[in-house]
Amino acid sequence: MEHMLSGPPLGNALVALAGAAITLWVIVAAVRMLVAPGETDPNHPKYRVLKEDR
Amino acid sequence: MASESIAQRDADDRELTRLLGAYIAFATGWLVLSTAVGIIVAYKFAYPEFLTNPYFSFGRLRPIHTNDTFYAWASMALVGLAFYVACKTCATRLYSITWGWVTLALFNVAAVLGTIALDLGVNNGDQEYREWVWWIEALFLVAVLTAAYNLIMTVARRRDDDVYLSNWYTMGGIIWTLILATVAFIPWYQNGLGQVAVQGFFMHNAVGMWFTPLTLGLFYYVLPKLLNRPIYSYALGVLAFWTNLVFYPIIGAHHFIFSPLPWWLQTLAIVFSVAMLVPVWAGSANFLLTMRGRWEQVRRSYALPFVFVGVLGYLLGSTQGTFEAFRSLQAVWHLTNFTVGHSHLTMYTFITFGIWGGIYALLPRATGRAPSLVLTGLHFWLATVGMAIYILALSIGGTVQGLVWMSGAPFIDSVTAIAPDWLWRSIGGSLMFASHLLFAWNVWLMLGGSQRVPSRVEPIAEVA
Repeated sequence: MEHMLSGPPLGNALVALAGAAITLWVIVAAVRMLVAPGETDPNHPKYRVLKEDR
Repeated sequence: MASESIAQRDADDRELTRLLGAYIAFATGWLVLSTAVGIIVAYKFAYPEFLTNPYFSFGRLRPIHTNDTFYAWASMALVGLAFYVACKTCATRLYSITWGWVTLALFNVAAVLGTIALDLGVNNGDQEYREWVWWIEALFLVAVLTAAYNLIMTVARRRDDDVYLSNWYTMGGIIWTLILATVAFIPWYQNGLGQVAVQGFFMHNAVGMWFTPLTLGLFYYVLPKLLNRPIYSYALGVLAFWTNLVFYPIIGAHHFIFSPLPWWLQTLAIVFSVAMLVPVWAGSANFLLTMRGRWEQVRRSYALPFVFVGVLGYLLGSTQGTFEAFRSLQAVWHLTNFTVGHSHLTMYTFITFGIWGGIYALLPRATGRAPSLVLTGLHFWLATVGMAIYILALSIGGTVQGLVWMSGAPFIDSVTAIAPDWLWRSIGGSLMFASHLLFAWNVWLMLGGSQRVPSRVEPIAEVA
């Protein structure tokens, strides 16, 4: 491995951990919304946009 | 009273249609010009003695190709479509038609002056995608400012309480771009490392915070309307919006891996490049799940095949961008032609195909005039095949180029190794350019042709 492919270990680890924690949280949220989108109320904006607009 | 309001509504719609038509017509003209320049630039690689006059030199023509594609073609088309979508989703007229024309004029004046200045050698140095000198860029910024005001005021007059998802994306993109363009031209960041950081911020966000949200906003309107089916998950679209805002702005620094930029900034850019998989995969899955089971309808539509390729371009191009950010892969691909292939995978396969899908979906609805079915098919296949050849050639060639550099061989060896790929790139680019001429003819037909669009059937909402 070339020297340019490594860096200060602690700073890198902290940055990577913080970023990874946020990423994991939104992955869980995204999977939940994919599996069960819900939104069955006929008055939801996603249905209203289908009506003939002006 | 009722007949008066209907007459007023018809008049408003005619004005909006004229405005949309003008945005699309000018944008199309710029597409043809900018990609004609792109073809000349591409053939210079295969034939270095081709057009050696200074006004046709690579250094002057290349930024004309990129800036006109960004700030003339894509910007004008997307803003025109965003105005139209805002009016339709908010069931209101455009806040100011006059300001809509002023915005279009400003975009065009900036593009004309920018093109002339670049060809005369007057530029902002080698700052990729911001080669226009500051006072021309300021004209573009004013154009975006007037567009933002008009768009936000239009959405503010909506009849519903909710702001439809498309308008979240278009308003977000336009506001972020105001910040982006302002930061990029702050005088004290024009030198040294500050310049490098701002350059990474600008060049990447010009795609991810301007064209991406405007195109995604277009998809969230066009797909449900064409399929007569709601978007699979509205909440997922909102999640993708916010995660794009959180993760995207910082990742431009991944263009400067191994540079003297702070190591933590490079690492953060890599981590958030991986995090970008969340909005990209969530957004792409949302669009593909909306299309599920409707492939025959997609195949028979004028517009949906373009949107479908646009979604695939978003998925593949953005995922590729994540992998490119890794240091181990940057060691091979850094500064090679692989990056040029990547930028075309995103700006062409995603953004340009997405715009075409939006135009084929909405312009006939607005004008009541249809494009030629045969020309639309030819446009689609020439652009798709040409783009595939282009991207494959540069992806393979760029990888070979990087490996030759890493081997320590003389630089000329990498030139010899990639030469056949440059020729293939030119061939693919020629097919793409031919498709743009067909598209231009179709725009002409949609604006003033004789073939009328069949009467529309009243849509019936499908509850999932």
